[in-house]
Amino acid sequence: MDILKKLTRKSRIKSPWLLHFDCGSCNGCDIEVLACLTPVYDIERFGIINVGNPKHADLLLVTGTVNHRNKKVLVNLAEQMPEPKIVVALGSCGLSGGVFREAYNVIGGVDKIIPVDVYVPGCPPKPEAIIDGVVTGLEKFSKKKDG
Amino acid sequence: MLNTILFVLILGPFIAGALCFIIRSGHVRSFIVLAMGCLIATASIILFIKGPFSHTPPPLLGIPTHFLVLWGDDLLLFVMLYFAFKHGHLFTKILIIFQIVCLDYFELFMVDHTENFPLFFADNLSLIMVLIISIVGSLICVFAIPYMNKHEEHQGLKKSRQPKFFAFLVVIIGAMNGLVLSNNIIFMYMFFEITTLGSFMLISHDQNETAINNAVRALWMNCVAGAAFIIAMIWAYVIQGTVDAQKLIQAGHMGGIMLTPLALLCFAAMVKAAQIPFQSWLLGAMVAPTPTSALLHSSTMVKAGVYIALRFAPGYAGTFLSQSLAVSGAFAFLATSAMAIRESNGKKVLAYSTIGNLGLIFACAGINTPEAITAGILLIIFHAFSKALLFLCVGDIEQHIGSRDIEVMRGLYARMPRTTLIAVLGIVTMMLPPFGVLLSKWMAIEAASKHLFVILPLAVGSAMMVVYWARWAGILLSAPHGLKVEPEKQGLLTRFPLLVLVWGAVVLSLCAPLVYSKLVVPILSAPSFSIRAGIFENPTGTFLFYPVMLILALGFIYAVYAAKKARKARLSGPYLCGAQTTDPESFEGPMKKPVAVLSGAIYFESIFGNQKLTVWVNIFGGMLLALLVGGSL
Amino acid sequence: MIKGIIMVFIGVFVAPLLGGLIAGVDRRLTAWFQSRYGPPVWQPFFDVIKLFGKERMVVNRWLVFCAHVYITAAMLSVVLFFLQSDLLLILFVQAVGAIFLVIGALSTTSPYSQLGANRELIQILTYEPLIILAFVGIYLVTGSFRISEILVQTKPLLVSLPLLYIALCYALTIKLRKSPFDFSTSHHAHQELVKGFLTEYSGPYLALVEIGHWYEVVLILGLCSLFWATSWIGIIALVGVTYFCEILIDNVTARLTWRWMLGYVWPMGLAMGFVNLIWLHGR
Ligand code: SF4
Repeated sequence: MDILKKLTRKSRIKSPWLLHFDCGSCNGCDIEVLACLTPVYDIERFGIINVGNPKHADLLLVTGTVNHRNKKVLVNLAEQMPEPKIVVALGSCGLSGGVFREAYNVIGGVDKIIPVDVYVPGCPPKPEAIIDGVVTGLEKFSKKKDG
Repeated sequence: MLNTILFVLILGPFIAGALCFIIRSGHVRSFIVLAMGCLIATASIILFIKGPFSHTPPPLLGIPTHFLVLWGDDLLLFVMLYFAFKHGHLFTKILIIFQIVCLDYFELFMVDHTENFPLFFADNLSLIMVLIISIVGSLICVFAIPYMNKHEEHQGLKKSRQPKFFAFLVVIIGAMNGLVLSNNIIFMYMFFEITTLGSFMLISHDQNETAINNAVRALWMNCVAGAAFIIAMIWAYVIQGTVDAQKLIQAGHMGGIMLTPLALLCFAAMVKAAQIPFQSWLLGAMVAPTPTSALLHSSTMVKAGVYIALRFAPGYAGTFLSQSLAVSGAFAFLATSAMAIRESNGKKVLAYSTIGNLGLIFACAGINTPEAITAGILLIIFHAFSKALLFLCVGDIEQHIGSRDIEVMRGLYARMPRTTLIAVLGIVTMMLPPFGVLLSKWMAIEAASKHLFVILPLAVGSAMMVVYWARWAGILLSAPHGLKVEPEKQGLLTRFPLLVLVWGAVVLSLCAPLVYSKLVVPILSAPSFSIRAGIFENPTGTFLFYPVMLILALGFIYAVYAAKKARKARLSGPYLCGAQTTDPESFEGPMKKPVAVLSGAIYFESIFGNQKLTVWVNIFGGMLLALLVGGSL
Repeated sequence: MIKGIIMVFIGVFVAPLLGGLIAGVDRRLTAWFQSRYGPPVWQPFFDVIKLFGKERMVVNRWLVFCAHVYITAAMLSVVLFFLQSDLLLILFVQAVGAIFLVIGALSTTSPYSQLGANRELIQILTYEPLIILAFVGIYLVTGSFRISEILVQTKPLLVSLPLLYIALCYALTIKLRKSPFDFSTSHHAHQELVKGFLTEYSGPYLALVEIGHWYEVVLILGLCSLFWATSWIGIIALVGVTYFCEILIDNVTARLTWRWMLGYVWPMGLAMGFVNLIWLHGR
């Protein structure tokens, strides 16, 4: 039994599938996320796949601020991800609202709506930082109890 | 004993029909139909247990049987002529008058009525047919009792038309029994014509314009078949001097001279079985109440066509006729599959699939090897059950939801789980191993492998068939998520036929090796497969019937178990880009208004959907038929 | 008997491992073509184990049922293959799985999965006739549909069935979900297709589907190997070259529409197959 658990943990670290949700970012962060997929950074070597479907995802990568219009979508997406899952907030906007913080329609950072496991600062964060954030998240991910 | 059974099987339904017609009380009628169903089903089983026979019954009421047949025939043709005049269809009139003249001349001046041969002959093929006709046919009649009541409720007629409807419904069963049991081809012709008239009456039942138009179309097309039959009969008599079907078959094609009558017979059979380009009569028959279509499609009428082709198959083995029969059957299979794939009308899909399967049976008859004949006979058996079942399901569904469109049936599982499950099971028995229809298709493909022009259409057609069945099954099950489904109410008389048919289809498939070795082998010239531990084997191939069935069944059971266990799993709505509302079947649209999710299946309109395709298919099918008849002149 | 048991064992246990490994190599090669480093070859196993450890989440229970039927059928077809059974039977059993997978996808109301399922049906429609024709070609050469009969041939089938092999390769490209025919679900198109008809299969059920796919990959490559079954070198060379070409095609072509696929693969594949059959018949 223990071996099985260990194996599952190891596999989790080795195969985090991420769902990238643009929650109202300026697209700066998104471009950096996509840069991670390019041959230069090649996040697939960590087994990471950028899936388009919360039902297959382990990691929710949120960029940008949350506003009244899209907060529901954020909740829905997080809800449709099977446990265990982690949420990574990217960029100043995702952390706190960033430059849009004072806008009339903005609620603020991602953690105002759903619990966030890892925060990656930067405006936008560098791909290295994003990868680092994800890898930090993996530790947490593997320790989460089974769904 | 035999006399009684034959009387019950053939004349019993006629008497029941007459009673239905005369006694207009609904309860009595239901009783008559039920009683007749039980009676002929039992009689058919007894006949089956008694085994093959050839027999001449004593004349009825002391009148020589051939007089009865002559009068019956004339009466029948004049009734048809009456309808031809009533609806003013010139071509039908000509055809019928032609038949009357030919028949009377033939009967009165040509045929030697003193010739002595058994009037009835039954080998396993006939017995199988009798079983199918009597059992499936009766079940359909039983189903019709509650169905027709509801049907008339919708129409609000002053005077019920049910007496006539049930009269012809049961008469067709009797006529079919007569057709498959008689050995005298004049008898065969008479019963053949009775089914024509019966189907005309049933199709025109609703008496609206489309019903009458379609009925008239069915009438003239079947009269073409009748005319071809009568010419074939006379021609064969001129050559052979006999109306004994067995002698005609044994005589074979005799270096070509018997080929033309045989070709005409095949032609008649193909028209009766609504092969291309005559498919429109069977499609038109869809306007009639569902039991009609179920009866015409699954057990009777069209099966009369394939029966004749299979019956006479030894007579034309190894000829050009045989080959062209195979090619045109295969072509019909391909063309109807292509037409079915573009249909969203459930009944039409069923109709096309019937024609396609009949085409496959014709192709098997045409290939004419023991393997192919096996495939053909097995297909008749398994197809009858599954198809009757599907028709009854669609009829029931139509009465509940008011539509026969597949797209409207989307998510039917949530509304009518029982009927839906039965329908899906019916679909599965039509297309997947280890069920009988697929087993016969496997045999057909292996048998057809040497015939290039047969195998190509078969390969493409069977892929199309899979598509339209799978699409339908999936759509039926497409239930909203996490729903508690309440089983719907089904009347006893609706439920009983459905359950018998579905169990029949499944259990028969389970017994396929037995069915083959006990029923089919005795008919064949040489056994086509050896059976060991439920494994069909011959030099061409192996079908691990029971092993495959066993493992798939285990898989199924485990899958059901897993699905049951998934009750505890978390429910989540379908993925809608995160925009779903509290109702997971709709997403949040403009102005925060919920928008329901709609999706539709692909019906290939751009490829198979145009009218031109039908025209070309008809032309090509017509050419193949012309080749079939012309080539054997 | 012993041999039979060993074969069943290989079919049930070794085949998926092999299939997973092939999938890993596939990803590695693809990465190499794109001048990336790529995941380890064991990656598919990590993925599947992880999926098994995830929460069970369902849209409706038909999906669960269908995923299980799919893997049963896929496994059975591979076992039948290793038992050297009848080719057509293998195809039909394999079809059970393919169809139930589609029925499962159709049973949800999710638009992505509906669309993907319809496309998958079109893919089935496209490849099935080609595979049947290829089998008929094999029959015309060997006189039987049994694989055991193919293995006793002294001449590679490829010599007499070159065109049918190409036609079969079309079918295989579709069956392996390789570009340009990967529009029902895809290994790459996570964004535009979501995941096609696999959208609603998640967690352990997706893992089942994945393993089923490995079985199918083995089956498909096994079918390819039949065309040069006279020597081990031939098998390895033929399968290797074919699979390499599949991956190459996957990487250099763009995804196209189903109309294009039907309009291109059918005429090409059927014509080539038919010509080959006529040629065999003429001999
Ligand atoms: S953090 Fe900067 S780059 Fe990222 S979304 Fe906000 S403003 Fe754009």
